[in-house]
Amino acid sequence: MLKFEKRENIPLHLRILIPLISILLGVLIGGIAVMFSQVNPLTVYKAIFIGAFGSTYVFSETIVVAIPLLLISVGLILVFKMNYWNIGAYGQYIMGAIFSTYFALNSAETISRPILLMVMCIAGMVGGALWALIPAALKAYWKVNEVIATLLLNYIALYILQFLMYGPWRNPRSFGFPLTKIFDLNAQLPKLISHTRIHLGLIFGIIAAIIIWIIIKKTKFGYEIRVIGENEIAARYAGINIAKNIILAMVISGGLAGLAGMAQISGIIHMLQIEINPDYGYTAIIVAWLSGLNSLTAMIVSFFLGGLFAGASQIQMTMKVPIGIVGLIESSILFFLLGGAILTNYKLNYKGRKII
Amino acid sequence: MRPDAYAITIILLAATVESGTILLFPIIGEILTERSGILNLGIEGMMIIGALVGFATAFITGQIYWAFFMGMLAGGLASLIHAFISITLRGNQVVSGLALSIFGLGVTNFYGQEFVNLQLAHTVPQVIIPGLSQIPFFGSILFKQDYMVYLSYILVIITWFILFKTKTGIQLRAVGQNAQAADAMGVNVYKVRYFWTFFGGLMAGAGGAYLTLNCAPFWLDGITAGRGWVAIALVIFARWNPPYALIGAYLFGAINALQFQLQSMGTTIPSALLSMQPYFLTFILIIVATLLVKAKHIGVPKELGIPYAREEK
Repeated sequence: MLKFEKRENIPLHLRILIPLISILLGVLIGGIAVMFSQVNPLTVYKAIFIGAFGSTYVFSETIVVAIPLLLISVGLILVFKMNYWNIGAYGQYIMGAIFSTYFALNSAETISRPILLMVMCIAGMVGGALWALIPAALKAYWKVNEVIATLLLNYIALYILQFLMYGPWRNPRSFGFPLTKIFDLNAQLPKLISHTRIHLGLIFGIIAAIIIWIIIKKTKFGYEIRVIGENEIAARYAGINIAKNIILAMVISGGLAGLAGMAQISGIIHMLQIEINPDYGYTAIIVAWLSGLNSLTAMIVSFFLGGLFAGASQIQMTMKVPIGIVGLIESSILFFLLGGAILTNYKLNYKGRKII
Repeated sequence: MRPDAYAITIILLAATVESGTILLFPIIGEILTERSGILNLGIEGMMIIGALVGFATAFITGQIYWAFFMGMLAGGLASLIHAFISITLRGNQVVSGLALSIFGLGVTNFYGQEFVNLQLAHTVPQVIIPGLSQIPFFGSILFKQDYMVYLSYILVIITWFILFKTKTGIQLRAVGQNAQAADAMGVNVYKVRYFWTFFGGLMAGAGGAYLTLNCAPFWLDGITAGRGWVAIALVIFARWNPPYALIGAYLFGAINALQFQLQSMGTTIPSALLSMQPYFLTFILIIVATLLVKAKHIGVPKELGIPYAREEK
């Protein structure tokens, strides 16, 4: 008989091996799925790889995708560490984009570039933070399920964006298309590297990852978060204010998602429109989980999943392989990772003999 | 009431039932899954898999009822991934459910490309129930529907009966309230949880298939449009009790039918704000429902989302 025995501490090699094996198996499942649609999986993966890392330009595009993933995921890590769930980065990202667009459209001529950009960053963070504050307060004071609340708020945010784009914010000169006017140069985040689209948001992301790492490891707030995540009842007895921590973590997380939304429209799209890639909010959940809720590891994982997305976007155009392959691979990796967690939590015995 | 207003009311309420049925199936399924202690956030994914498999089967074979069955089965099979991870491997149920939703959306995007913008020649045929359909007002709303709608009525009654009036139901609830005690009484916790998780998947698949076979008989990427999340919210509104699921599902259905009617009548209200209403309503509903559940101390299965490990006794 197969028997499970609880592990006291997790060996380092398992902590590294399980995510790696999960990635390999997830990629394998993606390959099998591709085979069913009569395409050679090796050709597809080679094309994804070249589309993600094959030249300086595509490499820079991978980083462009990694920026919002990193910004959002490090915020999510803070919430997930507490064993609470923010599935609303999608909506918080949209709200960040909307709030910052207000200033881009109305203040571009009157304020100098550095100040306007700072105002837009703050507006983006405030927009995302407010949108996260709603489910956070509902959870903290009324115990409203935060998974459901954040998810529903995503749809509400999406329709607010649609309302603005088909209504008050549509540029009268866009021939009926739901677009604002192109932002003035004053409202565009500066590029970090010329001839690419890599923008200042990359620095924001790296700083955020480091700050979140410090918060979790070195501060009282981070300590309380970890205690709540491990045992909420014990945390309550220890006198930790759980409501305060939920709200603080959610607001920081929402603020970072909002900043990601701001960075995307100010640094990449240069206008507000309906398609501003809020799906990064869902992908970031996978980044957070795959990085083992470590914000420094999240930098590597964002880069990896950014490459997958950038490469798959390429082959969608060139080889007509649908972009759904990304979700398929990502979710398969998650399945293996979740299933594999049993090996980190338990020792496996078969007929009294140790396997792992 | 003027005759035309009367007729419009009937049409609207009949549409309410149809639109509500898409949700009623998954809500009932998730109620029983959660009662057994398993939280499955993968409804959106299982629904859209059911929607695509149902649509594709109907498109290829022309057999509507066969298509409905296949859609249902596909949802059930998808739920087994979640069951294996959360029951056997004791993985995190929240993340596993989310992964299942991402999986469903990805896999249907991947395999659905060739069906995009295709339409079904025939949708689910209307079946008028003799006698009952003659009841003034309600007859035309409730009994001039189709077999799937009638199946949903029956399921509400059967699941309520199983849950509260049978030994199976006692065991199911016991597993969700206190798995260890249920185990001590000789109930196979794993088996019960597997079965009801699978049932939840079948129901989610049924809801998705009903969507593409009746209400929106074409294929588009992401066609379920968040209904799976709404269903999970309405489980809380239903306080884990099937008859209340009916109210939640039809409320959502009514708002949906109404906003759709307003849009097609060419109202001046911006369409984005109308489309938002079902989600906004659900958002308000779950706040109210949570407060009610808390005030009356009812509902929530105690071990919801907690894996059971037998040998740690």
